Amino acid sequence: MRTRREFLTVAAGAAALGPAVIRSSALGKDGAVPPNERIIAGGIGLRGRGMGVLGWMLPEKDVQFVAICDAQRSARENCKKVVDQRYGNTDCKAYPEVREFLAERTDIDAILTATGDRWHALMSIWAMRAGKDVYTEKPSAMTIAEGQAVVATAKRYGRVYQTGTQRLSEGHHVFCYELARTGRLGKVHTAYAHIAPWDDAYMKHDWLPAEPEPPKDQVDWDAWLGPCPWRPFNRAYIGGGWRGHYDFHTSCIGEWGAHTFAQAQEGLGLTDTSPIEYEFVDNRYGDGMVAHFANGIKMILSRGNYKGVNLFRGSCGARFEGPEGWATSGDGGLEVSRPAFMADQKKLLADYVARTGRALSHMRNFLDCIKSRQPTVANPTVMHRSMTTVHCANICMWLKRSLKYDPVKEEFTADPEANRLRSRAMRAPYTY
Amino acid sequence: MLKQITRSVLAASLLVGSLAALAGEEAPAELDEAKLIAVLKSDAPRFDKAEACRLLQRCGTKAAVPALAALLPNEELSHMARYALEVLPDPAADEALRAALATTKGRLLAGVATSIGVRRDAKAVDALVKLLGDADADVAGAAARALGDIGTPEAATALEAAVTKAPAGRQVAFCEGLFRAAEGLAAAGKKDRALGAYDILAALKPAPQQVRMGALRGGILARGDEGIPLLLEAVRGSDPIRLRAATRAAMELPGPAVVKALADELGKLPAENQILVTFVLGKRADAAAVPALVALAKKGEKEARLAAIRGLPGIGSGAAAQGLLELMSDAEPDVAAAARAALTSIEGAEVDKALAAMLTGADPKARAAAIEMLGQRRVVGAMPALLKAAADADEAVRLASIKCLGQSAGAAEFPALVALLGKAKAGPELQAAEAALSAVCQRESQPGTGKVAIVKAVYGALPDGPSADVTAKVAELIKGGATSVEASNANFGDPANGIAKKLRVEFTVDGVVQTKTVNENDAITLAGRITPPAFVDAMCAAMANATGPAKLALMRALRSAGGPKALGTIRKATADADDEIKNTAFSVLCDWPTPDALADITKLAKTSKDARVKILSLRGWLRLVPLQEAPVEEKLAGLKEAMALAERPEEKRSALAALGAVFAPESLAVVVPFLSDKGLQEEAAAAAVAISEKIIGRAPAAVADAMAEVVGVTKNQQTAKRARTLLGQARKAAPGKK
Repeated sequence: MRTRREFLTVAAGAAALGPAVIRSSALGKDGAVPPNERIIAGGIGLRGRGMGVLGWMLPEKDVQFVAICDAQRSARENCKKVVDQRYGNTDCKAYPEVREFLAERTDIDAILTATGDRWHALMSIWAMRAGKDVYTEKPSAMTIAEGQAVVATAKRYGRVYQTGTQRLSEGHHVFCYELARTGRLGKVHTAYAHIAPWDDAYMKHDWLPAEPEPPKDQVDWDAWLGPCPWRPFNRAYIGGGWRGHYDFHTSCIGEWGAHTFAQAQEGLGLTDTSPIEYEFVDNRYGDGMVAHFANGIKMILSRGNYKGVNLFRGSCGARFEGPEGWATSGDGGLEVSRPAFMADQKKLLADYVARTGRALSHMRNFLDCIKSRQPTVANPTVMHRSMTTVHCANICMWLKRSLKYDPVKEEFTADPEANRLRSRAMRAPYTY
Repeated sequence: MLKQITRSVLAASLLVGSLAALAGEEAPAELDEAKLIAVLKSDAPRFDKAEACRLLQRCGTKAAVPALAALLPNEELSHMARYALEVLPDPAADEALRAALATTKGRLLAGVATSIGVRRDAKAVDALVKLLGDADADVAGAAARALGDIGTPEAATALEAAVTKAPAGRQVAFCEGLFRAAEGLAAAGKKDRALGAYDILAALKPAPQQVRMGALRGGILARGDEGIPLLLEAVRGSDPIRLRAATRAAMELPGPAVVKALADELGKLPAENQILVTFVLGKRADAAAVPALVALAKKGEKEARLAAIRGLPGIGSGAAAQGLLELMSDAEPDVAAAARAALTSIEGAEVDKALAAMLTGADPKARAAAIEMLGQRRVVGAMPALLKAAADADEAVRLASIKCLGQSAGAAEFPALVALLGKAKAGPELQAAEAALSAVCQRESQPGTGKVAIVKAVYGALPDGPSADVTAKVAELIKGGATSVEASNANFGDPANGIAKKLRVEFTVDGVVQTKTVNENDAITLAGRITPPAFVDAMCAAMANATGPAKLALMRALRSAGGPKALGTIRKATADADDEIKNTAFSVLCDWPTPDALADITKLAKTSKDARVKILSLRGWLRLVPLQEAPVEEKLAGLKEAMALAERPEEKRSALAALGAVFAPESLAVVVPFLSDKGLQEEAAAAAVAISEKIIGRAPAAVADAMAEVVGVTKNQQTAKRARTLLGQARKAAPGKK
């Protein structure tokens, strides 16, 4: 009798047939997947956004969500309630401490984590080291060094990893990237990547006023801080007020750039590198910063309006311009310079699915790759290289000067001060 | 003494005051290391010293080391001291961290060990080895990882001993260290030493699955091509962990040998293993794998065959084309469909050539299939063959090629398409030719801002209020690539101090003058002619010489071309002596896609004695008014005039829908009375809601009144829901309203 892990490997064959295909022999009478043939999943740090992503996972018939871990009791209880309601039982277990959780639950195949930027890389590394595949929210690394560590760990242990840049899997976005990639715009010379139109690139270092720490079983403040420098507790941090603080956030550039730089680099076919030059701009946001790739293509960071032109449709947009036209996609839709481009929409998407074998669903892609052991669309290299672009742009702003970066050596050229900012010492025992 | 302490605290505070500013939102260009060190030595509060450490991360030198080292045993500041020391480029930092191994314990010691690992201080190996046995698991784990990062043979030897004796709770941490050491040794060219480490990891029993996977993967990669036999052994076997590890390694092992080895092995593997290997071969994108994948695609278990077919597009080789062509007629329908999808998606001229060759084959079904795929692939080079196939003896082939031409033909083929329409048989073939011509017209249209010249642009409270000449600004925006210009203060500033404004632009397109005016926050589109003039010329010339159904089809196709010449040709045809031509011209005119036909259409609506033409023209009028780039007052006047002519409920409903796209309180006022007309109230309700959603900010009272009435009459749940929401919002904004 095959073990469940063995079955998942066998079922990789089914995943080869295309998205969400399970061999008919694996399906029960009602189309359900038998429990011993499902991917067993757990969650770490699932609140707002994380619960939203859990909402993508729970309906998938080949997943069983069994446990939640969170430093905050109310968050653990809320997640458990939602999961138990979904399954009609009380089986979801709750854990306060993550290392115990990972060590104890050797039955868990995959982790969904959405802890907050400061923890994403370390949590992913710990989970992968513990033998789990990981879906993590973005931004998935606070520094270049963290990104390198995620890449190394995933390779070392043969893990499947997906960062939450789901626009790499959404149909109208994918069509936009494919228009650029397949040359229908001509040789693309410029890409634009949307940065968040709130917050600054310059972030706060000050501490919020100290408040008494809650009991540890309610909020484990030490664990909440994790690898970050210690500071006194203030309830605003745990309610989302951590944004805008240097220790916890990747700035307005990373907030959307984690998505849009990956999108732009996907359309440019440059997901395994980063720009080699970043031009400093004298505003608070990095708005209008030009980043140059080694092949001559420019990527321009923009809050949305560039030289009088509204670049994007909705939030988290990417735009590509070539001699034959332009295409832009955002959460508000897609726009192209020539109606002719739209005629190819079905074909390009069908070709994309045929060529890559990827489902146009970020969660489904992750689950399929768990079975096939293939790289996801937002795999560690894609994450690391696009986040490197984020970090380089941030460092350019913080040092208030233009920078050159070598993406092969992964260091700034002739700039020791910038190189020191490629990493941050982590607070023990929250280290990788 | 007290005075001295107070003085130093005060001095530090003053410094810290500026430090907080320095370390606050904007990073300073220059950092004063001496001042930062002084803070560390002072009695400044924790925050200030932490911030000093943070800034020393950027600028610390050997001079800062003593002050930082003194903080390493400090519970509150050890981490921040490491923040600076970890990246400080002087060996004094290594000495300080090494020394701290003896003066710290618990978390602080774990942190120090971690930083030593980051710095790869080989001199710390002996001290770190001792820590592998520390009672604190975090310390032992940090020491293991640090030894791994340092990665000397001595470090590896210590880790090898440790992993084999590690208690269960520390095994993964020690394995992590040994993995890092092995990777470092392999990267440094010490292959045999690395293999020693991997062999120890591979021999661990029991071992978690991720360690087994990592050991096999690492062992294969460290061996390079010599690891291929090990890889194949795992690929042949039934251990899923080893299989996964081997396929993972196969993705990473550089060079062609592994692809050849897997391709040679593919046909001999169990079906389930074949599927995983086809993934690898597809992703490796090495054409050497094509023959093996094609062979499996032709013969094997169905799921393995499908996986092999789906691996081919990733390789993108034309060499796969012939095999896929044969598979397109496979007896298994899923295989045939997969082959066709794969062939369509493989980029490159070889596949185009193979498909073009099929056009001369004996089987009309195969010819039609090839045509369809050439169309899907947008193969420009196949145009001559497609045009020839449009005259094929087989009707299905002719129709397929005409459809395909519609999907992929361009300017070069347009004259031939026009001629084809002229010769097409009435019925499906003529319809297909008309559709193809229209499709090419639409597809080849594009905005042509290069031919646009701005004559004059004015922004302000037009016509007589304060305004500014914005000609230069609009010209600059167009030059920068914009095809439309938003009438906004963001673009032009506010010359009218809060008064509602308009933008009027007088411009030429290919020398032809146009003037457009829009309200504030609307946009003017400044586009060139949308269809190449040669297309219009060719269609007009052909129309002049055509007769019967072909002539009528050309007239209908002219609608897709648009533009003044096409419009003029259709206008002239409305006076034709032939009733069929005249009636077709009226239909085309009334269905014109752009507002430049409005003058003709409104005249028809007001003056035509033909009931059918009257209705068609009224519909066209109502459809086009909202598309105008004109002030709201002008659009509203047009719609009111059209509505007054509407006799039938169908046109009145169209009028209400059109009013629903004119976002002004005045249009809401026109719509509201129809809420009491039972035959029109649902359309009136929908229009009222659409208008209200856009104007609630400026006319909450009117919206409140209108929505109260909508809620009372509509039976459409969606409309009612939207109306109730608006009603609530409007009442809040206009509190006097109930």
